[in-house]
Amino acid sequence: MTLLAEIVVIVLAGIGVAVCVTLLPAARPLRRRKAVPAGSSRPQQLIALERLVTTSGASAVSAHAYLRPLLIQIVSYRLSARGQTLERMPEAVGREVLGDRLWDIVRPNRPFPEDRHGPGVRPQELGLMLEVIRRL
Amino acid sequence: MKGSLSPRTPGVLALAGAGLISALATGRPELALIAVPFLVFGGAGLVLAREPQVTAAVEPSRLRLLESEELTATVRVRNDGPEAVEVEVAPIRTGQLAVTPDGTVAVRVGARSEAEIAFLVRPRRWGAHGIGPVAVCTRDALGVMTWEGRLGGRVDLRAFPHEEQLRELVAPLRTEPFLGTHVARARADGIEFADIRPFQVGDRVRQVNWRATARRGSLQVNQRHPEHSSDVVLLVDTFEEARDQARGTLDSAVRTAASLARAHLGRRDRVGVVDFGGTLHWLEPAFGTTQLYRIVDALLASNVAFSYAWRNVDSLPQKVLPPGALILVITPLLDERSIALVSELRMRGCDLTVVEVSPLDHVSPGPTAPDAVAYELWRLQREALRARLQSLGIGVAVWESGGNLGPAVEEVNAFRRSAQPALRA
Repeated sequence: MTLLAEIVVIVLAGIGVAVCVTLLPAARPLRRRKAVPAGSSRPQQLIALERLVTTSGASAVSAHAYLRPLLIQIVSYRLSARGQTLERMPEAVGREVLGDRLWDIVRPNRPFPEDRHGPGVRPQELGLMLEVIRRL
Repeated sequence: MKGSLSPRTPGVLALAGAGLISALATGRPELALIAVPFLVFGGAGLVLAREPQVTAAVEPSRLRLLESEELTATVRVRNDGPEAVEVEVAPIRTGQLAVTPDGTVAVRVGARSEAEIAFLVRPRRWGAHGIGPVAVCTRDALGVMTWEGRLGGRVDLRAFPHEEQLRELVAPLRTEPFLGTHVARARADGIEFADIRPFQVGDRVRQVNWRATARRGSLQVNQRHPEHSSDVVLLVDTFEEARDQARGTLDSAVRTAASLARAHLGRRDRVGVVDFGGTLHWLEPAFGTTQLYRIVDALLASNVAFSYAWRNVDSLPQKVLPPGALILVITPLLDERSIALVSELRMRGCDLTVVEVSPLDHVSPGPTAPDAVAYELWRLQREALRARLQSLGIGVAVWESGGNLGPAVEEVNAFRRSAQPALRA
């Protein structure tokens, strides 16, 4: 009886092991070169402007030296379509057309900021100025 | 092919080892009996395993196609061995090729016979793409050993960009004295009526305008504008591109250049191309269909190569820009060097038109409020730049992806008609 039980156990164990062997994977997945995903690239112009908007908010010098020429370029083009130029625009007309804040930035002969570490043009403020330019 | 133990083999050997160790540990020889079949299995597999004689080759149904078309790439797997083998095949993808089915395909190849597997291949963008070799995996009958390798050579596919049918082209200011389709300003034999003048010795009778002769009482002849061809140079700016995941401005630029090249060559113009960017390539202007294929092949090699090197008109060989040629600059207007080049060419009196491939479709504002302000500032800055170029007498056709180039070209022609006195200055 004991011998018979042992034979049964051995046979069952053998069957179990054979099942385990068949369950083992016979081959690993094929190694393939991964497809290279197409990357995205943002233009350097835009990245530089994003940086400029941030620095102009913190520094009056940055706003005067870098943001102001850009705004003058854009405003001049918009005004030229209306037959006006920034250089020959009287202050009263300039303030009326561009608004006080934008005129203060782009007006001819604007002096270099006295407080070099003073605040510049905050992004929200700049957004409002661009809204004015867009309406020109 | 490189042979190695299959993942099953270490498992089998581990089970055998476990049986033997437990037999030793427990002092029961019966447990060793369990290990014997696995030892026999593993040993027989290792002894009997022979490297399968499998070869594979990739055969695409064609080598040239348009970027959105599909082709069938057939992988032929040949087994020169005396036994049938199970072969798993997977195409090696490049990022620019979509392959269906994407995963591994298993096929049983009989002894000394061949099997075929078909894959659908679609290029995601224009360019030269390589397909093949394929990854192949086989194993012996017992599954003890596997062999992996890359079989078959690389086959180059050329995916041509989509071309747009253009009804109207930018009319050149100057023409060359070769037969073409542009009405020249000069007076000679042609179709378009130009003027009436008094008869001179040597004029042909068929040129006499009898109505004018009757009214004026002396012989009057018709003068006509001849139909001439022109030289066109496509200058593709590859300094920088704006790209989202799927598309970029360079894709659109190449597509535009190919469309313009085909349209101008179809009108018997001499067309050349300059890839102006980090690297400089050019093709001198020439006529004909062969030139079209040369241009498209040259465009397929276009790529944005980062470079700090400053380039200007002097970087270009003189023969690339023939005098009087119409220069079409295809650019996203993102790099200072290309903007300076455009201004410089105009200052030198070149007949110039800018086809601006708009980057706005490929770039979205950043996540923060200042980024949105910067994006708006960028948009306005680009408008101002466009206006500055127009003030120099340069027509600017803005092409937005998904739009048609035709209306933009018509707009440029209208601008050039109104600005002609300035352009000729």
